[in-house]
Amino acid sequence: MTSEAHKSHSPVCDSCPVHHAANLLKLGVNMTDWDFVVALAGNPNTGKSTVFNALTGLRQHTGNWPGKTVTRAEGGFDYGGHRYKLVDLPGTYSLLATTMDEEIARNFILFGQPDVMVVVVDATRLERNLNLVLQVLEITDRVVICLNLMDEARRHGLQIDHRRLARDLGVPVVPTIARYGEGLDQLLQVIADIATGFSVSKPHRIQHLTPALQRAVSQLTAQIESHYPRLPNARWVALRLLDGDQRIAQAIQRGELSTLSSVTEDQPVIDRSQ
Amino acid sequence: MLDPLTSLLVAALLVTLGLSLFWPERGLLSRWQRARRVTDRVLTEDALKHIHNCEMTGDRPTIQSITGALQINPTKASELVNKMDAGNLVQFEKGTLHLTPTGRESALHILRAHRIWERYLADETGFAESEWHLQADYFEHYLSPAEVDALSDQLGHPTHDPHGDPIPTAEGELVDHQGTHLTAVDIDVPVRIVHIEDEPPAIYAQLVAEGLHIGMQVRVIEKSHQRFRFWADGDEHILAPILANNITVVPMLEEPEISPGMRLSSLKPGQKAKVLGYSPACRGAERRRLMDLGLLQGTVIKAEYTSPRGDPTAYRIREAVIALREEQANHIYIIRLEENVA
Amino acid sequence: MKKRGETTAEDILQTAKALRWEIGGNIHEKLVEAIYTDAARIADRTVTREGVRPRFDLDHSIDHLVTSRIWGFPILLLLFTLVFWITISGANVPSRIIASFLIDTIYPVLSDGAANIGLPWWLSGLLIDGMYLATAWVFSVMLPPMAIFFPLFTLLEDFGYLPRVAFNLDNIFKKCGAHGKQALSMMMGFGCNAAGVIATRIIDSPRERLIAIITNNFALCNGRWPTQILIATIFIGTLVPTHLAGLISALSVVSIALLGVLLTFIVSWFLSKTWLKGEVSTFSLELPPYRPPRILQTIYTSIIDRTIFVLWRAVIFALPAGAVIWLSTNIHVGGLSIAQHLINFLDPIGLLLGLNGVILLAYIVAIPANEIVIPTVLMLTVMVAGLQGVGAGAGVMFELESAIGTLDILNAGGWTLLTAVNLMLFSLIHNPCSTTIYTIYKETGSWKWTIVATLLPLGLGFTTIYLVAQIWRAVAFVL
Repeated sequence: MTSEAHKSHSPVCDSCPVHHAANLLKLGVNMTDWDFVVALAGNPNTGKSTVFNALTGLRQHTGNWPGKTVTRAEGGFDYGGHRYKLVDLPGTYSLLATTMDEEIARNFILFGQPDVMVVVVDATRLERNLNLVLQVLEITDRVVICLNLMDEARRHGLQIDHRRLARDLGVPVVPTIARYGEGLDQLLQVIADIATGFSVSKPHRIQHLTPALQRAVSQLTAQIESHYPRLPNARWVALRLLDGDQRIAQAIQRGELSTLSSVTEDQPVIDRSQ
Repeated sequence: MLDPLTSLLVAALLVTLGLSLFWPERGLLSRWQRARRVTDRVLTEDALKHIHNCEMTGDRPTIQSITGALQINPTKASELVNKMDAGNLVQFEKGTLHLTPTGRESALHILRAHRIWERYLADETGFAESEWHLQADYFEHYLSPAEVDALSDQLGHPTHDPHGDPIPTAEGELVDHQGTHLTAVDIDVPVRIVHIEDEPPAIYAQLVAEGLHIGMQVRVIEKSHQRFRFWADGDEHILAPILANNITVVPMLEEPEISPGMRLSSLKPGQKAKVLGYSPACRGAERRRLMDLGLLQGTVIKAEYTSPRGDPTAYRIREAVIALREEQANHIYIIRLEENVA
Repeated sequence: MKKRGETTAEDILQTAKALRWEIGGNIHEKLVEAIYTDAARIADRTVTREGVRPRFDLDHSIDHLVTSRIWGFPILLLLFTLVFWITISGANVPSRIIASFLIDTIYPVLSDGAANIGLPWWLSGLLIDGMYLATAWVFSVMLPPMAIFFPLFTLLEDFGYLPRVAFNLDNIFKKCGAHGKQALSMMMGFGCNAAGVIATRIIDSPRERLIAIITNNFALCNGRWPTQILIATIFIGTLVPTHLAGLISALSVVSIALLGVLLTFIVSWFLSKTWLKGEVSTFSLELPPYRPPRILQTIYTSIIDRTIFVLWRAVIFALPAGAVIWLSTNIHVGGLSIAQHLINFLDPIGLLLGLNGVILLAYIVAIPANEIVIPTVLMLTVMVAGLQGVGAGAGVMFELESAIGTLDILNAGGWTLLTAVNLMLFSLIHNPCSTTIYTIYKETGSWKWTIVATLLPLGLGFTTIYLVAQIWRAVAFVL
């Protein structure tokens, strides 16, 4: 897992961005003026919009309400000579597409393939928030955890071993207090590291499936992998198919998954957007 | 200008007329629409369904029984049967009707369409339980096999309809449901409800109103010709035998996993409990939503406070405070935990 | 490659289908359980608890107070009365200042300027008397109350009190087949219906959200309060002795607003029992921890987010409305202006409904914004009644400082107490303004529901005022 090995698939230069402009355009994200796209996910009430505002300087209203940002908000920032487009996804408890919001967020993460996924996590309710984090980790490995509301956690007498958390999840974890801007510099640095391919993650995958389900998942995953050898999230696709997710079945029928897998790894991305 | 009393009268007439025309379900417009639906095709399909049903229950399908089941006059019924005979859907033998292979195929398709539609209504829409059957009786005639298959795909290939009846497969296989009528069960033997008959609708509505549903654990405590007393998931029910006869049960093999009795709704503020599971009556989007909120088997939950009117109640679930309505909390089985002083 | 791919894709789906049969139905549950098991394990390893948790207790005490059986409703009532009182009393002065600036200072300057540079009369009439004046009215009536109401509302929201309101009121809404959070979109609707419709986003159950959207119009918005207050003052207040006038007119306005709340409940109940019966319905309501609001930032963001946003849309719709009003009064066909033709046509219908043609026309041209109803009514009445010495000519909207002057004009237009009462009722129960209709379409994405939300209150309004008019006349007839 050296950075060198990774750099060969994700070249660091402005002219050949990692993002998948065609797919993003379908989702309504114009990437003409941007180098990378960063998406922001998280449970409602975790201060996701505060993080968004702190990063972009845009004053989007941050209500103390579950389900505030229903439509996507977009903004941008410059860091380390690159221009990043930041997309704020709806706040959701899960990505299993029970509600409209969840479907919007899920589709963006899967089909938009953002260069970096920032998952904002409420440090005072880690367990509940990890539900979403673990689902995101099944879809993509380009994840940063923004462990927000550290001040409230401290007030509640909670000690969080964020290094241990990073080790267990297999992705970087940055503790922040977004309301007061603490930890955001580090967050930006980690976002840049992942976007440019400087650091690579090996994310946690869901364990504890029942034996029968585990067997079914393995069988289906193998079949999916043989058909889409470079699909990064074959197991997740298998799980969704087993759950009867129509959108994913549709994606397979229409061949959308093969476009995802072909540009994901290994192949040098020679500016497909032009 | 009209004389005010006259115009008031005109207004009252207009409103009455409008209501009697457009009132949902009972208005003339919807009656007329319903009457128009009863075409020959619909009658044929209903007759096929009836004959198939008789075959399953061991009754003898005749022209008389068709007359009764479809509520048409005898002349019309015999015309219908002649047409079906000519169309090679049924065969007449000594007054009894038999389905031909073609007839059986379309009967099973109708049955499949009916039951899948009911499943769809139960899982994916907000229609009340008492309306599933009526709606399915209508839509079964308008769904093509391909549409039914697509719907089945979408629903995750359900094997049973919400009443517990098996859904025929696309290949036309139908697994008969096992079990006995509740009235035939001995006292004190633990059984589980696997089926609640949805015909006739009046009886079904009463059973639904009693709160009975599939998956409930039942123990009979008293049987007589007048009444039938039993425990179902911790509540006592008394039914007339004719009602109880429409419930099918199977013996419970293993010890009950959940010992029902306590529901989340009975938890008082300040008390803690562990979740044992969901009632099968909580389904579809609602069930998935509660699960995504972290309300799972084994989850520790604490009642925090109730709203000024006593409902909903706020519960602490995995560090978040989430309000649930009483009828939702009623669907969640719990075991109370004694408060240990920390 | 492609060809092989398609066959295999079908194979994958077939395998998935077969495996689903093997595992049985509740894969979703097994998956969620697996994820939460992992989550609990990881959280256990990384989080350690220590010491006392004082803030939990503070949250707890606030919650116990604001949701208590005794104090829950009084606190709620007190807070919202306070919010509305601050809004209405606080908006008065700035509204007058803005109006006098835009209409008494800028308007003459513009008119003179147009005359000086030799603009043709029809162009300056269309641009200045029509479009500018309509926008100026909307601006001065709408901006101050919204700039006060929205920040106050947002402060309550940021603090975390609003979810508790939904919690306290859910039981009442449940009985009408609605969601407790509808209380909040309704409150927001008192500020502006378009904002109220957007606020229904917090309701994630499809059926309850549609109910909240369709019934939001029954919350009497800021644009309609001035109409209610003016008509109540000059027609109902004058019925009683002077020292009671203020109280009685205030009471009549409040009862109109309460009638709106009652209609919200009735229509919600009706919708949930009929057209919306089959829509999916779920319930969950998170009660997040209280957080101290950041006051300055909240005021700033809520003005940017809500006030400016709503105002912008209203202005967009007011500009063409102003143009239409001016044109209709200044284009003559067969010796009469188009407006006059329309009024003659609408008059019999209006009188049957206990209104008149002028009011109906005013409501048609005021679909873009309810704020211009009164100025339009006054202008049209003066024109129709042929009054001399008041107003500023055809197509120029105006309002009068003195209530008695307004009353004189309206009396000359043939107004009675019935006209006033029915105008107050119709102002509450009629189609939403075009900004709101557009917002409903944007939010539901469905023409069907947009049309229902538009025509349902309109039909209900016509029925109501028709019945009131007939009963009123019948009683008068008998007496």
